[in-house]
Amino acid sequence: MTEPILIAQDLHKFYGDNHAVDGVSLTVARGEVFGLLGPNGAGKTTTISMLTGLFPPSNGTITVDGLDLAKNTTAAKAKMGLVPQDLALYPTLSARQNLTFWGRIYGLKGKQLSARVDEVLTMVGLTEKADKAIDTYSGGMKRRINIGAGLLHKPDILFLDEPTVGVDPQSRNAIFDYVEELNRAGMTVIYTTHYMEEAERLCHRVAIVDLGKVIALDTPTALIRSLGGGVILIGLGEGQAETVAQHVAHLPAVKAATPSDGQLKVEANRVQEALMGVLDATNRLDAHITSLEILEPNLESVFLYLTGKKLRQ
Amino acid sequence: MSILTITGKDLLLFVKDRGRLFMAFLLPLVFILAFGYAYGSLAAGEARVVELPVVNLDAGGALAQALLDGLIPERGVGVKPYEEAKAQDLLLKGDIQHVLTIPAGFTQAVQSGQQPVLKLVNHPEANEEDTAALVSVIDGVAKDLSLQTQLIAAFRQMGQMQSADSKGAQTFSSDIVIKQAQSQFERAKMAPLVSVEQQVPAAILLHRAEAPNAMEIAVPGFAVLFLFMSAGTAALSIYSEKKLSTFRRLLSAPLHKAELLPGKMLPNVIAVLLQIVVIFAVGAWVMPLLGMDRIALGNLPALVVVSIVVALCSASLGVLIAALARTEGQISGFGSAVLWVAGAVAGAFIPQFLLGNLLGTIGKVTPHYWAISAYNDVIVRGQDLAGISTQLGVLALFTVAFFAIGVWRFRFDA
Repeated sequence: MTEPILIAQDLHKFYGDNHAVDGVSLTVARGEVFGLLGPNGAGKTTTISMLTGLFPPSNGTITVDGLDLAKNTTAAKAKMGLVPQDLALYPTLSARQNLTFWGRIYGLKGKQLSARVDEVLTMVGLTEKADKAIDTYSGGMKRRINIGAGLLHKPDILFLDEPTVGVDPQSRNAIFDYVEELNRAGMTVIYTTHYMEEAERLCHRVAIVDLGKVIALDTPTALIRSLGGGVILIGLGEGQAETVAQHVAHLPAVKAATPSDGQLKVEANRVQEALMGVLDATNRLDAHITSLEILEPNLESVFLYLTGKKLRQ
Repeated sequence: MSILTITGKDLLLFVKDRGRLFMAFLLPLVFILAFGYAYGSLAAGEARVVELPVVNLDAGGALAQALLDGLIPERGVGVKPYEEAKAQDLLLKGDIQHVLTIPAGFTQAVQSGQQPVLKLVNHPEANEEDTAALVSVIDGVAKDLSLQTQLIAAFRQMGQMQSADSKGAQTFSSDIVIKQAQSQFERAKMAPLVSVEQQVPAAILLHRAEAPNAMEIAVPGFAVLFLFMSAGTAALSIYSEKKLSTFRRLLSAPLHKAELLPGKMLPNVIAVLLQIVVIFAVGAWVMPLLGMDRIALGNLPALVVVSIVVALCSASLGVLIAALARTEGQISGFGSAVLWVAGAVAGAFIPQFLLGNLLGTIGKVTPHYWAISAYNDVIVRGQDLAGISTQLGVLALFTVAFFAIGVWRFRFDA
């Protein structure tokens, strides 16, 4: 890994009895697009909120480009830009007025500010509508300005919190293009989403988050590869999962076979060949199949494999 | 710098929000105009009846009864008889505010040409306007009684002389009778047979000359009511910021939390000061063009200082509401219920001098009461800064308390 720009160590956040973030540790390299993938309520937004200094963690430390966020809050925040999940814009003001306000908040002024506002308007393709009130914009246009507001001060790290929620396919592709363009220009991007295809397309590394914990962290390729050729989940009659597991574990197409709670989880090197072997074994053993699910090798399957639930549950 | 940036943005949002502009500027003027007309008769002293406890020590005396017959509700006085000891007891307890004592031998004294004195004793906290109204009415009735008595005595004497004279028709010509009547009338005016002595601080009588006109009742009351309604608007502005996620973006920006709340307060302070300028300017220069009374602006430095303190108090209350309210509905509810009620008990709708003891006491727990009281003292009584120091001090305490509790309870991460 190249030089780290963001280091989070053992972050916790408590809301009363609710342990919203439970020991999250991350190291993000400069110039990386880092994904936080998890279902709604997994703790992604709370983690991002702590990383961007919205509120302090209950425990743990955060270092931004060598600066301790707790001690050098203002300087560390100046290096970061946040694009919140909800639109963080003033609907009755125009795009230009919104961008000018946010630019001033980040310390820009005068000609530098107006030039930067024009650049961002050009980048998000809204120069012609710059003086119209935001509430006259389409959802996609609002999203683009929302992102633009986080870019005005050219942050070293850009946090994008679910930036494509409720966006039409065209605007979604435009957002992907911005992220890739910004990253090519050297910006580090931390991107939260519950869409696995976004994480697969954009992210160099992905942390899979569930119940406030990081349950896997690697490149999308490595995470997918961990599933081998795929996973077969077979529901079996009482006490039969263990017997079938013993008969299929030695098959060449099977990487591992794990019985658990009436279910047999088969990690396959070659999924079709493994499936044939498993079905043959169940026939021979006269085992009763109650369910059958084949997980294709992708991040969704990785999440399902690790947590037993789907990303969008 | 960030405070000014946030302030500029909020003022821009304020200017673009027609509903808020209507609420801040037009609605108060509509209320002032409507209630100003209603207060017209009140300020002129019509329609209200002030209760007057009376101890009549000349029971059975014809002139004592004549005096009581003159103190009628049509003149704004409602007589209620009391025993002397009971009246004194109630007055000491503050249960009654005034006692008029008709001295023993009143009728005989008047008829014999002596000058008996009616004694009006006022409780130290008696309503000043009521006291002034009672003095005026009692004095008028007493003078009428004097005139009546003197005229009757004169004509009786003339009648006796006429009867005794065989050439009577020539003794008193119509010219002589008229001259006699005029002479008695002047004597009754200059040296009334009945006088009223008041046991009351001189300041109360002084205020009689400083009674507010209709606009001077309506403008401070409704101005204060709507200035504090702006607290609800300020709270909604903070709530909207959170709802829009712009608050999250502000929190993630390189500025101190300490800059955020003042940044949200300052626009409200400016908006409230603009409201004050518009409302008082309309009261002073536009209302007279509509046939209404003109308000005096009183001592300008005092007016400016009390306005700034009121604006700060309203903005601090906005922070407190934003900190305590969990939903937009709670903020709206607080704005429309608590602030209206607070304004009502503080004398925004009903002038403070008509609130009575109970409401007057309850009203004192609201900042509205002290703000209205300060404005009344400045524009009606011409008080300077020293004269309103108590009200300013109380308003400053409210401001500090609202802000301190608001900051303490404010949930930045909610």
